[in-house]
Amino acid sequence: MPILRLENLCKRYASNDVIHSINLEMRDREFTVLVGPSGCGKSTTLRMIAGLESVSDGEIYIDDRPVSSLEPKARDLAMVFQDYALYPHMNVAKNMSFALKLQKRPKKEIDQKVNEVAEMLGLTNFLHRKPAELSGGQRQRVAMGRALTRDAATFLFDEPLSNLDAKLRGQMRAELALMSQRVQKNMVYVTHDQVEAMTLADRIVVMQDGHIRQQGTPEELFKKPNSKFVAGFIGSPPMNFLEGTLEHRGDMTCVVGQGYILSLLPEQAQRVNAANQKDIILGIRPSDLSYAPDAKDGDALELTVLISEYIGAQSILLASCGDQKISVEMKSDNPIELQKNMKFQAVKQGIHLFDRKTEVAL
Amino acid sequence: MATSINQRQSPAFGVLMVVLIIMAIGPIGMMIATSLKLDVDIMSSTSSLLFMPTMQNYETVLCNVLWYEPEHLDYCDPTFGRALKSSLIIALVSTFFTLVLGTMAAYALVRFRFMGRGVISLTTLLMRMVPPAVLLVPVFGILTFDFCIGDDCLAGTYSGIILVYVAMNLPFVIWILQSFIVQVPVQLEEAARMDGANPFQVFYLVVLPLIKPGLAAASIFTFRIAWNEFLLANALLDRNTRTVPVTIVNSLTGYDTDWGVIMATGTLLAVPPIIFTFVASKQIITGMTAGAVKG
Repeated sequence: MPILRLENLCKRYASNDVIHSINLEMRDREFTVLVGPSGCGKSTTLRMIAGLESVSDGEIYIDDRPVSSLEPKARDLAMVFQDYALYPHMNVAKNMSFALKLQKRPKKEIDQKVNEVAEMLGLTNFLHRKPAELSGGQRQRVAMGRALTRDAATFLFDEPLSNLDAKLRGQMRAELALMSQRVQKNMVYVTHDQVEAMTLADRIVVMQDGHIRQQGTPEELFKKPNSKFVAGFIGSPPMNFLEGTLEHRGDMTCVVGQGYILSLLPEQAQRVNAANQKDIILGIRPSDLSYAPDAKDGDALELTVLISEYIGAQSILLASCGDQKISVEMKSDNPIELQKNMKFQAVKQGIHLFDRKTEVAL
Repeated sequence: MATSINQRQSPAFGVLMVVLIIMAIGPIGMMIATSLKLDVDIMSSTSSLLFMPTMQNYETVLCNVLWYEPEHLDYCDPTFGRALKSSLIIALVSTFFTLVLGTMAAYALVRFRFMGRGVISLTTLLMRMVPPAVLLVPVFGILTFDFCIGDDCLAGTYSGIILVYVAMNLPFVIWILQSFIVQVPVQLEEAARMDGANPFQVFYLVVLPLIKPGLAAASIFTFRIAWNEFLLANALLDRNTRTVPVTIVNSLTGYDTDWGVIMATGTLLAVPPIIFTFVASKQIITGMTAGAVKG
């Protein structure tokens, strides 16, 4: 499969910079997910790759061939749109075979390809229906089928699941993952949903305000976020942030804040001390806190539970720590009393520290 | 209103409806009735709805189109047959060109960004506000004296009048079609581009099928105008290319006016637009874009 590479890619509307010089290389058969809050430029980037949006500056290379001035059809790409964009006057089979017909392939080959893809997506019984007669999930499948029949080298997805309801989205997400395993193509996927990003991606590219903030495997991003933004964006429920200062107590380095004192592991302390920064932000994921009534000081936070959201196997607690709010994930079989002080032990490896001014990870 | 179900309708309303229906259908009914009468019945002072219907008038009108020679005629006047042919050619061809140019212009106005787009969009409608009578004199001059090849000028030719009708109907057609094209989701065109369609294929294979209802409405409109138009046709066409409305008026003379034949011509004149409208309106199906995009 061809390798897709973006070099100093920029997009300007009038004098407004939307994308600031993006550099990205997508490896062979990699599932790359561009993720970020709305307005971060992820869709624009994808549309520039697709050729639907002009490139203001920089270049897009597909297999070292600059393509930014080529028409979409010369780039060997297939795209799935957020709103499906099925041709309403054609039935499912015609929708899926449109691209092949334009390429003037023999009818037999087209039929064969359409049937093959329809079977794979479970659309065989719907081939003669019009899009208006299909449900949302089926339409989404047709949209994917249309891309699949193309046999293009690279697939682009523009928030393909955002129009489906929660249950269907989960189901389609799994189907998408299966499909990407089966077809083994380059995939570029845009979403604002970090769950989709985490579950589907080989590599996640987190974008904000037209910049790439961090890229890496889901695990890298989850465990070693390089900034407060990435840390807060990846993971659900989101990471808690508490303001604090660094203090030395005996031979331990501790983070002290309103209502808590946490000691750091030696290697963490070393890193933080090297940065020589006193005012910091402490980040800890709700899942890295656990109920521990007899934990030692310096390992635990004492929290007042305000709200408990029961969601089955676990509860999400909203608690106050001093005058800051913090959420905790907790197994539901533990007793939860509201408005009571409870001790929660923090997993030391799960402590993230950020510079308060630059919000960069320390 | 919820209460209207229980309201008794007043008798006056019924009477009003009957009057309106008579006003609307009366002349047409009279035209059809008269076209089926012999001259004797038409002129008789005791004319009534009781008469022996005859197809004679129709035979007279269509004598050069029919496969047999009507017995009652000793001379077949080809005027109507010729006029019918002219009318059909002029109406169909001008409708065709108006639609072809109109869709492309409307598409460009909706989708492309270029300088003066707003102004052009507005002026297309302004053109529509000029009454045809105002155009008559300059157009007559142009068609008679300009653009001549040797002695052949555009006046009196099909091309001349078709050109005028196309120009006359274009603004309105562009205006109608613009509103239809705006409704075609841009994503569909983008999807087609991704599928490898060039701009013309996007237009013909995706946009055109979706604005069929608009095309139908516009074609009914232009066909009817071209079919019924009298003022310009009367001035610009000669005896070989005259359309039906002109022929009818020309046969109203001070001497021997054959009402039966005129009414038969009128009845026949009404048929093609009715057929055309029925055929075209089949294409007007609402919700053509349903299911295209989630919305």
